[in-house]
Amino acid sequence: MANFNLRKAEPKDVPDILRLIKELAKYEEMEDQVILTEKDLLEDGFGDHPFYHCVVADVLAEHQKVEGYSVIGFAMYYFTYDPWIGKLLYLEDFYVMKEYRGFGIGSEILKTLSDTAVTNRCSSMHFIVAESNKASIDFYKRRGASDLSLQEGWRLFRIDKENLLKMSAEE
Amino acid sequence: MEFTIRAATLEDCKDISRMILELAEYEKVSDQVKIAQRDLEQDGFSKNPFFHGIIAEVPEHLKSKEGHSKVGYSLYFYTYSSWKGRAVYMEDLYVMPEFRGKGIGKALMSKVSQLGLAAGCTQLNFTVLDWNKSSLDFYLKQGCWDVTSDLGYHCMRCEGDALEHLAQGGL
Repeated sequence: MANFNLRKAEPKDVPDILRLIKELAKYEEMEDQVILTEKDLLEDGFGDHPFYHCVVADVLAEHQKVEGYSVIGFAMYYFTYDPWIGKLLYLEDFYVMKEYRGFGIGSEILKTLSDTAVTNRCSSMHFIVAESNKASIDFYKRRGASDLSLQEGWRLFRIDKENLLKMSAEE
Repeated sequence: MEFTIRAATLEDCKDISRMILELAEYEKVSDQVKIAQRDLEQDGFSKNPFFHGIIAEVPEHLKSKEGHSKVGYSLYFYTYSSWKGRAVYMEDLYVMPEFRGKGIGKALMSKVSQLGLAAGCTQLNFTVLDWNKSSLDFYLKQGCWDVTSDLGYHCMRCEGDALEHLAQGGL
């Protein structure tokens, strides 16, 4: 198997992070939804108050299966808060390129994230998964994740910019 | 009804803690609250806060039966969408029962929207329990949509033993 290295993302990784974000979105059949740019990622992840953190998996040049790419997996996360139990780690994106799956890279990324959660005294790691993504749901359930939407009835709601503007203008 | 909406301060943590418990009781899960006033003070009002709060306050002559003038709150924090960038997550929104129906909840949510937009966010996210019909109706009227219903995204959690196990590299 290709030797890989997990490390904290650096500003130079931004183009690869965006590439992998788009690949994951494509896998979820949502590619046209990605409007984030490299500039956004740079400003929002590597400034004074980062909105997110990232770990990347890279492989040595001689083990590259796909020409030109050494960064072959990533996870994007941030810290959130539950007023009942305190700090949480929220996993926003988690992806390994198809050619590199089945080698334990995903598991190693999850291990690193869980370790980060425990070290930062987070009581839980949260994330969302599309119900149609059976492979990922099984992957997570095998590792002890529970489906809060099914078990407790939580529904994720969203309000987009247009309605946010309307709401913020109301007195 | 006369009321003001303002940013929460350290001194508000006593009332926020009281109202968190009231909200947990309303959601029928008050035994799950492990966070105390002291935790809120540390996690929300130190150098790197994990959440921000806003309070709804009424004047002296409109205080509750028990003498409370802080009658509603919202806790929120900033998150990140790998598709759209900066987002704001509204973790709690609560108004004491005797003060409902007077526009306080809407005003709290409006404030969170304003703050989110000012910080460059393009969406506001939150979760609602599927049996909470009055809240579901309130949010849908504000222009929110149900991501779990429409896109099939389920909220997942990995906690306690499962999280520890994952951190140790177990399957």
